[in-house]
Amino acid sequence: MSSEEKRDEIAAVVEPVFRGGPLWKRPAGKVLIIWVPMTIIGLLLAFFAPGHLFPENMSAEQEDVKTTFILFTALAAPVAAVVWGIALYSIVGWRKKSGKSDTPPEDGPPIRGGTIATTIWLGTSVILVVVLLVWGMAELSSELAPQQNAMQVNVTGQQWQWTFSYPGTGVTSTQLIVPEGRQIHFHVTSEDVTHGFWPVQLGVQIDANPNVTTLISATPNKLGTFDVRCSQICGLNHAYMETTGTTVTQAQFNAWLVSHGASATSVHSYAMSAK
Amino acid sequence: MTMTAPLAEDTKLGPKAGGLYRHQNFATGLIVGILSAVIGWVISHALLQSSNWGSDMVVTVTLVSWVVGFNIGIGSFNAIFRWSLGHDEDHEDQLYGAGVGQGWKRYFKFCTDHKVVGTQYLVLVMVLFGVGGTLAMMIRTQLLTPNSQFMSPETYNSIVSIHGMIMIIATIIMVSGPFANFIMPIMIGAKDMAFPRLNALSFWLVVSAVPPILGSFLLGGVPAGWTTYAPLAVQAPPAMDAFAITICTFVLSVTVAGINTLVTVLTMRTKGMTPGRLPIFVWGSIIAGGLGLYAMPAFLMAQSAMITDRVVGTSFYVAMQGGTGWLYENTFWIMGHPEVYVILIPPVGALIEIASTFSRKPVFAYKVMVSGVIGIATLAIMVWAHHMFTTGWAPTLADPFMLTTELISIPTGIVFLCMVGTIWRGSIWTRLPMYFLYLFLFNFIVGGITGIYLSDVPVDQYFHGNMFVTAHFHYTLLGGGMIGAAGAVSYWYPKMTGRMLNERIGKTAFWIIAAGIQITYLGQFWEGFQGMPRRVANYAQIFQHANDMSSVGAYILMTGWIVFLYAIISSWRHGVKAPANPWHAKSLEWQTSSPPPLENFLVDPVVTSDPYGYGEDDLAPQRQPQPVSAEAGSTTGGAH
Ligand SMILES: [Cu+2]
Ligand SMILES: [Cu+2]
Repeated sequence: MSSEEKRDEIAAVVEPVFRGGPLWKRPAGKVLIIWVPMTIIGLLLAFFAPGHLFPENMSAEQEDVKTTFILFTALAAPVAAVVWGIALYSIVGWRKKSGKSDTPPEDGPPIRGGTIATTIWLGTSVILVVVLLVWGMAELSSELAPQQNAMQVNVTGQQWQWTFSYPGTGVTSTQLIVPEGRQIHFHVTSEDVTHGFWPVQLGVQIDANPNVTTLISATPNKLGTFDVRCSQICGLNHAYMETTGTTVTQAQFNAWLVSHGASATSVHSYAMSAK
Repeated sequence: MTMTAPLAEDTKLGPKAGGLYRHQNFATGLIVGILSAVIGWVISHALLQSSNWGSDMVVTVTLVSWVVGFNIGIGSFNAIFRWSLGHDEDHEDQLYGAGVGQGWKRYFKFCTDHKVVGTQYLVLVMVLFGVGGTLAMMIRTQLLTPNSQFMSPETYNSIVSIHGMIMIIATIIMVSGPFANFIMPIMIGAKDMAFPRLNALSFWLVVSAVPPILGSFLLGGVPAGWTTYAPLAVQAPPAMDAFAITICTFVLSVTVAGINTLVTVLTMRTKGMTPGRLPIFVWGSIIAGGLGLYAMPAFLMAQSAMITDRVVGTSFYVAMQGGTGWLYENTFWIMGHPEVYVILIPPVGALIEIASTFSRKPVFAYKVMVSGVIGIATLAIMVWAHHMFTTGWAPTLADPFMLTTELISIPTGIVFLCMVGTIWRGSIWTRLPMYFLYLFLFNFIVGGITGIYLSDVPVDQYFHGNMFVTAHFHYTLLGGGMIGAAGAVSYWYPKMTGRMLNERIGKTAFWIIAAGIQITYLGQFWEGFQGMPRRVANYAQIFQHANDMSSVGAYILMTGWIVFLYAIISSWRHGVKAPANPWHAKSLEWQTSSPPPLENFLVDPVVTSDPYGYGEDDLAPQRQPQPVSAEAGSTTGGAH
């Protein structure tokens, strides 16, 4: 590119952004006037909407989902506002002919590109992607880290119900009962087709496949009931393949196992089974 | 400059021109197809000595016979038969094949004129959207109340599956069918596509693929969603055979069309049409066509192994016999993710043409944009397992697939940069096509950002298999892709039909559609936040408000599309006659009459610059906008 062309480009693209009269009279300033409130609305939504939209948190994992959702929305808001701000301003500020006119307006400035604009745009998106990625990987590795007091629950899907068993105790149930404050390792399999094991308020899910066992873990941190649904279409009654889960205290949990026929010793060793 | 003899529509051909083609049309296709299906049905039943007239083998043989018979009946293989007998088509035969002298009847024949094929595709796409949209309305009606009895779960599940697959077929061809066939060759100054017969074949293959998938409702229904995961789909009723045959046929069509697009652009560009001067839409068409060539074989593989598992008892996907459903899921998504971009890239290309024309400015950062789209296509083949984060297939690959998926937002950002940069300080002319560009900018940001949440594995563990995903991909494929296609229709409508689209009705439709999309899919995001799974016939009470919002939105949306369809149909008949270049645009398709004559140009055009030289009349000579020779301009009239 000749130096003259380069100067042309700067004149066409950069000048109206960085130079040429007071900011509010330049296109960049006018877009900024739209961008600021849009970004603020986006940030307000990011911080206050998820609390109303998601169900109550019942696990550390679900808290992560909500936090990540807030963070990503906050990062996305200014980006969306740039695109929408320019689009909106172009309609009010740069519209030269009404949509009813049969002849086009005069040609616009022949801007064929802008190295500075492109570099800023690409640089910003690279930085954002790195942030998203590092955040996601950190979060994932902390979720996967096994905890001291973890315990195992076996989950079996079949058309169209869930069965839960507590290894060593001989207890099986169609209701999921878990103790609060311990990492639960769900070992998930299926007797027939693929199902999706999804304890909703625990914020995790994993498919149940025949002949293999898949793993997912969650740490319930609140007492109460949650929903267990099937997230993978599995035939006729897929919609009704749901049950309730309950988070109880460790003492209540032990008592529940005993009341369902587990021996006191098996319950004791199961309850101590830290992995 | 070569002069070609202008071909009038009413050129008289000899009484024998066209040979067998003279006697073939859509009706003979139907007759031979049905006869062939009946023969296949009876013979396979007899050979198998099966007591069951509807077994998987019998259904498969019958439907394959239908597809082959229909295509024989309409003439897809005439040329091959002729050549194998040692004859070739003479010039008159070829003119007959291109539809010369057949008036409206050529739209119902195996016609090799790319403009006829493009128009045929446009009508087919509208029909498919009509079917898919009707099924969507049934789904939303079922979901108005938590315990709705409008449909049985069985019917509901199969309607969900067929809605999905019909819409996928329709969106794959919605821009690449009508516009890459009708407009793209004219944009590069070609007389036709490189392989006109393959072009017609690709169209009639899709037509023959439609009856099997619709017939699936009579064959027990497909209970497995459009993704038809094994092993559920392996155990499904014979409807699944029909579904798989539709896909295999469709794959052949897309493959043939993709090769045709690539070869056309590689070999048929007019003088001076260098790669750096190609309109962005042409770049989009070949990149999408090439990506389709990568994706479609995986689809064929996934579904033909499905057929052999079901029909002859192989066990690719049957866990109890050593197979695995994860094999299906992988092959399916190796197709499935690239396919998303096969759908999206052509409408994006069309919207960039629109951005330049209606901002009266050159495309911003042309080379960066083309590299961006190539980047999207390259990354698209490396992200498929983000659809499998929660399957348990490869937990250790979560990080790399999260990386590739999030990387795709960089070239996607370039698309936005290019669009926004083109609008920047432009002389905005708000005709109807431009409306759709603005709506795309809104919707595709929403679709793109919600996709970023889903690329994060921990967040995906909440949203996977949940209505949030449904809302996300409808925002991209409908809010982005279909809106881009609607923009393309309103932009090229005058060129294709020779009449102006009624913009008053079109803009009314636009506002209804724009509102309908937001209400429908914001409702579905809400369902997703609350924890509602996808593909359920009934749901818990807590989801009712969100579902009602979505259903009301869907009715509004459908109304909008019907109004838009009305604008298209009524203007086709009663619209104002279109000039050659109603938008005063600079690309080649606008430098010939509306609609263009057979073989498109009276004088072969010579290109001296890219078609975006707005505002450059007084700049250096190499940038002067002279896409066409003066002769072509004067003979077509109205050229700017
Ligand atoms: Cu299910
Ligand atoms: Cu994908």
